Amino acid sequence: MKRRFIILGILIAILIVSTGCWNRRELNDLAIELAMGIDKYGDQYRLTSQVVDPGEVAARAGGGARTPVITYQATADNPFEARRKMTTISPRKIYASHIRVVVISEKLAKKGISGILDYLSRDHEHRTDFFIVVAKGTSAENALKILTPLEKIPANKLFSSLDTSEKAWAPTVGVTLDELTSDIVSKGKQPVLTGLQVKGNQEIGESKENVEKLGTPSQLQYSGIGVFKEDKLIGWLNEKESKGYNYITDNVKSTVGHVTCPNGGEIALEVMNSNTNVKGKVKHGNPQIDIDTNLELNVGTVDCKIDLMNTKTIAELEKRVGQKTKSTIEQAINDVQEKYQVDIFGFGEVIHRSDPIYWKKVENYWDQEFVDLPVHVKANVKIRRVGTIGESLEEGKE
Amino acid sequence: MNFFKKRNKKPKHSSSTQSHQTEDSNKKKALKTNLDENIQQIKQTLGNSGDIITREISIRKEEKIKVGIFYTDGLVDAKSIQDFIIEPLMSDSREIELEQKISSGQDVLHLIKEFVLPVGDIQDVVDFETLFTSLLSGNTIVLLDGYVQGLVIGMREWENRGVTEPSDQTVIRGPREGFSEALRTNTALIRRKIKDPHLWLESKKIGRVTKTDVAIMYIKGIVNDKVVEEVCTRLDRIDIDAILESGYIEELIQEETYTPFPTIYNTERPDVVAAALLEGRVAILVDGTPFVLLVPVVFGQFFQSAEDYYQRADFGTLIRLLRYVSFLIALLSPSLYIAITTFHQEMLPTPLLISLAAQREGVPFPAFIEALMMELTFEILREAGVRMPRPAGQAISIVGALVVGQAAVEAGIVSAVMVIVVAITAISSFVFPAFNMAISVRILRFILMGLAASFGLFGITVGLLVIILHLCSLRSFGVPYMSPFAPFILSDQKDTIFRLPQWGLFSRPRLISQKNVIRENNPSTPKPPPRKAK
Repeated sequence: MKRRFIILGILIAILIVSTGCWNRRELNDLAIELAMGIDKYGDQYRLTSQVVDPGEVAARAGGGARTPVITYQATADNPFEARRKMTTISPRKIYASHIRVVVISEKLAKKGISGILDYLSRDHEHRTDFFIVVAKGTSAENALKILTPLEKIPANKLFSSLDTSEKAWAPTVGVTLDELTSDIVSKGKQPVLTGLQVKGNQEIGESKENVEKLGTPSQLQYSGIGVFKEDKLIGWLNEKESKGYNYITDNVKSTVGHVTCPNGGEIALEVMNSNTNVKGKVKHGNPQIDIDTNLELNVGTVDCKIDLMNTKTIAELEKRVGQKTKSTIEQAINDVQEKYQVDIFGFGEVIHRSDPIYWKKVENYWDQEFVDLPVHVKANVKIRRVGTIGESLEEGKE
Repeated sequence: MNFFKKRNKKPKHSSSTQSHQTEDSNKKKALKTNLDENIQQIKQTLGNSGDIITREISIRKEEKIKVGIFYTDGLVDAKSIQDFIIEPLMSDSREIELEQKISSGQDVLHLIKEFVLPVGDIQDVVDFETLFTSLLSGNTIVLLDGYVQGLVIGMREWENRGVTEPSDQTVIRGPREGFSEALRTNTALIRRKIKDPHLWLESKKIGRVTKTDVAIMYIKGIVNDKVVEEVCTRLDRIDIDAILESGYIEELIQEETYTPFPTIYNTERPDVVAAALLEGRVAILVDGTPFVLLVPVVFGQFFQSAEDYYQRADFGTLIRLLRYVSFLIALLSPSLYIAITTFHQEMLPTPLLISLAAQREGVPFPAFIEALMMELTFEILREAGVRMPRPAGQAISIVGALVVGQAAVEAGIVSAVMVIVVAITAISSFVFPAFNMAISVRILRFILMGLAASFGLFGITVGLLVIILHLCSLRSFGVPYMSPFAPFILSDQKDTIFRLPQWGLFSRPRLISQKNVIRENNPSTPKPPPRKAK
């Protein structure tokens, strides 16, 4: 009995030593990829990987001669092969679990992104917590080569900038992979993606000079939401329309807008809380949508003569803000209905929920129905606080 | 497959039969009537050892009877022997009384025992084996010429350490007494804590050559009688030539499983032993060591310290929770570090990953080798710190670890995170009050590190599962090792992870005492006095 144990123990020990530990990767064998860019030239995909150089980025003094990130490119017939082809350039195999942002070029977006998305979803190393954006007016490769001040790793800057602007300014939307794929697949909502622009000189942006000058010559900026039909990009929304989109999809956490005062001048207010309910009804075979927006605001800047302590003024302001919001939302919907004729707001889903039988009839040509869809918007506004001073300076000047 | 066939076992060479024969002959050898022959026999067997003192005197003026007094120098109180044995036998006044009584026809030995020797502890001896055992234990032997019986008088006194502060299980609040090496001192310390007549003591002598005194103490009526029987059976089964420390007994009587976990508790503190006896446990005291064994023991006991009960209840509870957490940290941190950084990098948040990767740049060894090296270095430092003479010991372990770690990081041999992980592990392992559990954790940590390096988190999970299964299968003298977690006993939860205040500890652990479980009758929660009606 004892003998058997000894033999078994020896066999197990030999097993561990001879088979080795497959799947074991030391940290310094990884090239940690933080951003991926995909372009298409002709039939071939060009993949750009922004890989971080940990020694340069570490909290301790990391030298300064090298850039904190490196980009590798490779071109092949599909993104998977391109990824593997990159090993001819990069010293280590790229490790893609920590991607924060995927940038798709506009040209590729216009041709269709489902191929890319399949690669991103199927690969076991990719997680689903990264944002996807479209590079507007430039290639993805160029967008990923720009160095950013303050945030050493450009991918982090792209991620946090998108996240923060979604929460604080609202004309951008952070779309993750799972949201994008479910929007593409669903018949009741078409996908959208935020656009990324390089403002300034690309040449300077790629060099260290960009971060050595005080007024950064070249910057990455998000601008506007791109409208997709199925998986192809068909157009862009401007800032106002993008805000409207976010109001409708209940994505606004905080934003700032302005209205004119009753006596001339402008007053800027901050949205603290926004809640939108979209309800669908089918009356006599005709669908219609009711949008109910509830806003809670604070007064931000007062640039006119107005008495904020008066409840009547506040009520008047509330009415004006309500009208403005209503017009923003309606304008956004009208523009999309006229120009693009795709339902990016998810009204189809709402109708589906309220009347599945009707939905089954129209789901295959919903976008045509969407063009004539009547939408009734109601905005309820409440102004809660006025900041830390009561009377404005204009008012007190006399 | 020939490996797995059983070979014929060779018959064991029985060398023990020889020594048995001489012992049997000793046993049968009774004392001789002639004193000179007895003295001859004693001197011969003891090889004329210089520290065995032989004193021959005569009593009675007319019919002189020779008396031989033997004692071991260093083990006896020589002055008392002079005053209370030799003096009365030699004095005149006593002799007159003696004469009177002898004329009435009683034998001298009986008379000496009853009237002459004013000593407390007198017993008879008839054979040589008992005589030698008693003589070498520090008793005094009185042999009379013409009598087959002798007297054994207890007058022991020797140098010992006395009652000092225990070295390992220190407390901030609580008694600072620790056991010493003398069995009698230890039993006295326990008696002082428990003055109940049901605290019984059974003595044994174990070890063929050393004949060490071993005492078993328990409180009859609270303890489970079967456990006491089992303890006695196992102690009687021991057939070894020497018992030098309670550790020998621990290894010889524990359950027959190969386990890294201790199934017998040992302590240097009388208050811990008293508390254990009150819960229905059995204490085994061994002469020559201050460490007393306690059986049966459960897993939760190794995480309890006497101090939990002397400080407030909430402090006790939180410190116990801290101990359990430290146990997990000490067991798992190097393994988790190795597993996650080599197999599961996707589990780390990105800034942490980049920071760790930055530290590993340029390090030549894989994480497992790094961890192994640092752990081994730390174990070496720890052992060195223990064996070094006192003044240098503390400095070596702390400063040495820090300096070595820092130098290794700066030389680029290990990464800084590894030093932190090893330091936290080591410090966590000092949190346990019981040293034998800390030893188990140290051993298991290396095994888990190997599993983590080969199979990642999967390996750690499998390792933990094996450990848990093993723990649940252990028993300590019939009590399941993992109670009250494994056979979940709700009423015992009050004293394992939590420590309810004294008014809540109303019963004893059920599986240990199994009867007489109620400790308090009316648990008196503190209440303000009732308001007087107006």
